[in-house]
Amino acid sequence: MALARRGGIGRYYDINGWLFVAPALGLIALFMVYPIVWSLWMSFQSGRGMMMKFAGFANIARLWNDPVFIKALTNTMTYFVVQVPIMILLALILASLLNNPRLVGRAFFRTAIFLPCVTSLVAYSVLFKGMFAFDGIVNSTLQAIGIIASPIPWQTHPFWAKALVIIAITWRWTGYNMIFYLAALQNIDRSIYEVARIDGVPAWARFTHITIPLLKPVILFTTVISTIGTLQLFDEVYNLTEGKGGPSNATLTLSLYIYNLTFRFMPNFGYAATVSYVIVVLVALLAFLQFFLAREREK
Amino acid sequence: MDNFARAHLPRIAALALASASLLAVTAAEAKEITIWCWDPNFNVAIMKEAGARYTKTHPDVTFNVVDFAKTDVEQKLQTGLASGTADALPDIVLIEDYGAQKYLQSFPGAFAPLSGTVDYSGFAPYKVEVMTVDGQVYGMPFDSGVTGLYYRKDYLEQAGFKPEDMQNLTWDRFIEIGKEVEAKTGKKMMGLDPNDGGLVRIIMQSAGQWYFDKEGKPNITGNPALKAAVETVGKIMSANIYKPANGWSDWVGTFTSGDVASVVTGVWITGTVKAQPDQAGKWGVAPIPALSIEGATHASNLGGSSWYVLESSAEKAEAIDFLNEIYGKDIDFYQKILQDRGAVGSLLAARGGAAYEAADPFFGGEKVWQNFSDWLVKVPSVNYGVFTNEADLAVTAQLPALTQGMPVDDALKAIETEISGHIQ
Repeated sequence: MALARRGGIGRYYDINGWLFVAPALGLIALFMVYPIVWSLWMSFQSGRGMMMKFAGFANIARLWNDPVFIKALTNTMTYFVVQVPIMILLALILASLLNNPRLVGRAFFRTAIFLPCVTSLVAYSVLFKGMFAFDGIVNSTLQAIGIIASPIPWQTHPFWAKALVIIAITWRWTGYNMIFYLAALQNIDRSIYEVARIDGVPAWARFTHITIPLLKPVILFTTVISTIGTLQLFDEVYNLTEGKGGPSNATLTLSLYIYNLTFRFMPNFGYAATVSYVIVVLVALLAFLQFFLAREREK
Repeated sequence: MDNFARAHLPRIAALALASASLLAVTAAEAKEITIWCWDPNFNVAIMKEAGARYTKTHPDVTFNVVDFAKTDVEQKLQTGLASGTADALPDIVLIEDYGAQKYLQSFPGAFAPLSGTVDYSGFAPYKVEVMTVDGQVYGMPFDSGVTGLYYRKDYLEQAGFKPEDMQNLTWDRFIEIGKEVEAKTGKKMMGLDPNDGGLVRIIMQSAGQWYFDKEGKPNITGNPALKAAVETVGKIMSANIYKPANGWSDWVGTFTSGDVASVVTGVWITGTVKAQPDQAGKWGVAPIPALSIEGATHASNLGGSSWYVLESSAEKAEAIDFLNEIYGKDIDFYQKILQDRGAVGSLLAARGGAAYEAADPFFGGEKVWQNFSDWLVKVPSVNYGVFTNEADLAVTAQLPALTQGMPVDDALKAIETEISGHIQ
């Protein structure tokens, strides 16, 4: 009874409560707060390996003059700008197609499209590497059906390598987004569509004027999640290009660059920390922008 | 039962404690040396052989050779050194020569100097140079990456070339032959991974230059050997006499499958070439082509690695003694690993044995080991510096633009800008 009566500010002084959350707080402090603060401190240091010195804003200045960083940033933004809209739109279209109750084999298609995102990142990258090899199955199929005359250098040409990464991540993540849309579509009242159909609204207009507006909160959610995922893109590029981000740095992402700075190059943990904070800032900015745009449209 | 346990618990506990401490004593006496390296058919197998030899004379020392992929060894080593927890590290680790200076300079005090123990005058000088910092020598020089031109005699014969035609080539002649081979046999001249700067490094070092000068400063725009090397690789790509490969296993596949007519790389590939028994007698080995510039030779190096002892190792003394006994003195050991694994060691005294004079039936009875050992002493010594990985990526980044007609000097300028950005 005494506990129940105590409320408001009094709760903060209850030592028992603090004892209960203390282990969790301790672990969070040790494994989250400490590394975050420490990496921020590290981003102001520079040097070879263990020989780190305080360098002020030297790492931030270095970012502007670093062609590889600029390249990695451009690539990451290219993936973001090209891949995320394609994937979101594709997932939306697939979701509304698979939401059709008259479609035969609905469960099969849903499973098939969702399956890629439960496969192992490494396994599918290795598979893609084999399929898109110079004399792999994709080139030989395209040649056999006469779409291309000579094999496409998927992995050794800067443009095609980037295209390959986009194809790979689209394959992997479209089904994941589609599931969110499918779940949201189940909550839309069928009668809305029926009314629209009776009024003679064509399918495409029903999609753009009913489905998309009603799914807006989910679209916002998936866009933010995809933004974070794309900016942290690492596994696919690492495995497809043997960790090099080639050819000619054409597929290098910010995460892969951080990896290179830490494990492949002369270890510079300070500069690597600075680059990782670039990702943090970008994700925060883009997520804010997306929330802002979505809010604007709601008025 | 409960009563029994209660009555005897103190005694059981005492017995357990006693046996545990007894075990601890014996464990402290038997020394186990943990070694990290890559390539089960080469480094791992050779290290196991070396360990077995040492255990014969030192029964108290045993070896635990751990096999990782090369990038995993490097990553684990770098993480372990950076974290400062010695427990996570092995006693001996294999490091590729290109990375040696990077580790030695960025983690000072992490590796044990062997200068006092090992007689370095017996080793190929360029191997010792890559492991020297401020007059102290770290590590035990191991295999050499002396390069050769492996070629398919059968394909070249079909194209009208004899083995004599493959001797003392220039790179321009090599490209001409490559065009002929493709016209006559439909086979590409070589496999090439455009993400791998290996070929540029081979050609550049054959003319006695590197990405960095002796002081470790970038040596790019004013480096005739690098310019010629980049130009040569550009020509090979424009002439389209290569089969593109993505990554190591893809590249290995270009010649194990019989799709290409030649391989230019380090001697350590011999085991992989010979792994295809149906290709026996079809291969020949020649010196690599040379550039037509001053200082050009037919000898170069690709890769090669050495053993390093961790300063923090509990078995440091044993590890050093082991390396010195086997890798520093055992001539017979070097004969065995050459015959079994194709390992050309860098201990010069080991080059005189019977194994080097043996003719290899796989190469049509040629004395290939003698050739490699002759070329080994001719490899120009260069300073690999600490930024070879960075430079390598900078060079490969410019290769596609070169084939699309970018002037070489512009490419060199871009390479220099990129490398300078990394040197802080």
